[in-house]
Amino acid sequence: MGSQRRTVVAVLLVLAALAAGPLAACTVVDEPAAADWDHSAERALSDMASEVGSARLALDTARRERLWPPYALVLVTEAEEAAGTVEEDLSRLQVPPQREQQAEQVLDLLAVAVTTVSEARSRAVEGRYDDPALLDRMERLASRLTGEAGRYASG
Amino acid sequence: MKRYFAVLLGVLTAIGGFVDIGDLVTNAQVGARFGWSLVWIVVLGVVGICVFAEMSGRIAAVSHRATFDLVRERLGPRMGLLNLVGSMLVTLLTFIAEIGGVALALQLVSSVHHVLLVPFVAVAVWIVLWRAKFSSIENVLGLLGLTLIGFAVALWQLGPDWSEMVATLSPAEKPAGESWATYAFFGVALFGAAMTPYEVFFFSSGGVEERWTSKDIGVMRANVFIGFPLGGVLSVAIAGCAAVVFLPQGIVVESLGQVGLPVAVALGKIGLAVVVLGFFAATFGAACETGLSVGYSLAQYVGFQWGKFVRPTEAAGFHVVLLVVTVLAAGVLLTGVDPIMVTEVSVVFSAIALPLTYFPILVVANDPDYLGEHSNGWFANALGIFYLVVITVVSLAAIPLMVVTSMGQG
Amino acid sequence: MTAARGSRPSYDAALHLLDRQVVDSDGRLVAKVDDVELVRADDGRLLVTGILSGLPALLPRFGPRAGSLAARVHREIRWAAADQEQPLVIGFDLVDEVTSEVRLSCSAEGLLERAQGGRWRLGTLLGTPVHGPGVHRSARVLDARVRGRLGGPGDHVVEALVVGPGRPGALLGYDRRSEPGPWLVGSFVRWLHRHAVVVDLGAGVELDLEAGEVRITGDASVRPLLG
Repeated sequence: MGSQRRTVVAVLLVLAALAAGPLAACTVVDEPAAADWDHSAERALSDMASEVGSARLALDTARRERLWPPYALVLVTEAEEAAGTVEEDLSRLQVPPQREQQAEQVLDLLAVAVTTVSEARSRAVEGRYDDPALLDRMERLASRLTGEAGRYASG
Repeated sequence: MKRYFAVLLGVLTAIGGFVDIGDLVTNAQVGARFGWSLVWIVVLGVVGICVFAEMSGRIAAVSHRATFDLVRERLGPRMGLLNLVGSMLVTLLTFIAEIGGVALALQLVSSVHHVLLVPFVAVAVWIVLWRAKFSSIENVLGLLGLTLIGFAVALWQLGPDWSEMVATLSPAEKPAGESWATYAFFGVALFGAAMTPYEVFFFSSGGVEERWTSKDIGVMRANVFIGFPLGGVLSVAIAGCAAVVFLPQGIVVESLGQVGLPVAVALGKIGLAVVVLGFFAATFGAACETGLSVGYSLAQYVGFQWGKFVRPTEAAGFHVVLLVVTVLAAGVLLTGVDPIMVTEVSVVFSAIALPLTYFPILVVANDPDYLGEHSNGWFANALGIFYLVVITVVSLAAIPLMVVTSMGQG
Repeated sequence: MTAARGSRPSYDAALHLLDRQVVDSDGRLVAKVDDVELVRADDGRLLVTGILSGLPALLPRFGPRAGSLAARVHREIRWAAADQEQPLVIGFDLVDEVTSEVRLSCSAEGLLERAQGGRWRLGTLLGTPVHGPGVHRSARVLDARVRGRLGGPGDHVVEALVVGPGRPGALLGYDRRSEPGPWLVGSFVRWLHRHAVVVDLGAGVELDLEAGEVRITGDASVRPLLG
């Protein structure tokens, strides 16, 4: 009994150590606040690019009569909700002093994106998909968001 | 002639029934983020589910014992109970995800919010579980699920550069923006989605429901070895469509609507309608399968009468369990939790729970007391042992990866 | 269907009987073999007399600590009932056949009755420490070897104990076959149980379940399980 229990305890300790290794490696490294913020900004920008892209694709597919209206509306509504969450999550983060300027730029860009996706949704509600200017704007916005995200990825 | 028809029907329903909400969502997510570089995991998972489904089907045919009978007989009441609790939680989670998936599929047609649809879906599922014949559930929903072939057609229409696709099949083609940890995490999720434990609970209990005997082993093998891999092809097609349409644009898949979008792009409204019907059939079928599986596992552990091969009054306890889990699942979904998130969690927890299910099956599949001349040959054992190692590694790696990548977001 | 074990002269109670599904003559699922009832006959033989079922039989098998706690809680829930501690029993003479299931010779409708108190259970015997020469120092009872023909006339007598370090059930059936399954799992389990022995009940073996131990003296017949 005694020896068996000791074995069990030893095995558990080894497993715990194995599991704790990678975890410790992640938490021990003390990330400076700026790098932390850069990481969140990159995530927010690329997520927003994804939402804008998704809404644009839905609208464009509907414009080419390949998507029925409720489906397009569901997609664009989901993109709008997710875009709002992305903006909110980043704006709630505390900005490190050395990133104040960038933060303003990023949040502005995200706000533009949220407005654009909302615009796309109101088009979907009205059923007016044929707006090449909006689609164009969304495409450029998505690539700009991706480009900005790339800037913070290296940091 | 009748026999050929039975084989054909079995294979077709196996294909149509293979994909569920976990496969739909995970494959599309992986395709959108990792392109073709994780397809090898689907192949690994499909071969694995074939190996163990064949074993459990053989045990069910020869000895009339389903999976949880074996778990209790081989692991004893204590380990068996831990196993039961773990497996039932995972299956319940999958059940919740499937019901949510049905509601999401209906939302795409009606644009009524999915939470409002949940009560109707739950009632429909329960009525089917209570009244419908086992074979009609399997055949009707399985055949309707075949409409997911739309994804394969869409992929062909989208016309990716096939030679380039072949070149990006290797893990080394992981997109540079993704870390190896997220790659591994999605690998685990994809493996969990392909090998979901409920599939063997359902498959083996279904064998007992349909009163298989050792004469049916051939038909069962045809279902498994033809149907499951072709079902796996559908999984790969879903990932492929996402890889072609979403990956270049950096779009991440977060909803069931996005999963079907590439089909709309490629085939238009009719193709999309066919595939959305497939969403409905696949998730509704899987909701029935997972709901039944929860009842099967509890009844097989405790020993009371289960199954749809007897009248509901004769298996009253079993039907009470089905009612309770359906109400529970509807309750969880009515809190407004995102079914896609439940799906993501369920496939990871499936991966964690894999050894609980597959180890006892491998042991009993070798036992001449149960199987007589039909016990495992060396090839099944070699594959079984290989997968036991893979499953154990996947199961141990799942939680650390989940923490490190914060559910694949990092 | 697997080869009927009915014709075999002996079986291992924990491996072949415990936790199996009980099915009645109409094919309806009745219960699990949650435990096996044992009775000490006047001549000192240990007889298998019934299949026990229900929570009072199952809960104590969850191990010495968790099991007794669960059993106590279950008793307290209906503390006023005299039979709350007693499981349901099916007489062993009604067992027709034991294959991958335990098949009864009659319909189970209204068949299960409360067991009588004061009898032994296989679940209590399993896991009991065994002390004496020839066995490992942390040996326990792992299984009970029973002589008797299922479905035939005659008593079912426990004639030997499988004894060794480890946990009952952990053998997974790997000790009793010439061609054990996946080689890796099989050899690992057999390695775990390399100290297991078979002890014949009779001279030199004292079952003291009240004190919770089995004592063996030099007279006892002890032979290795594997090899």
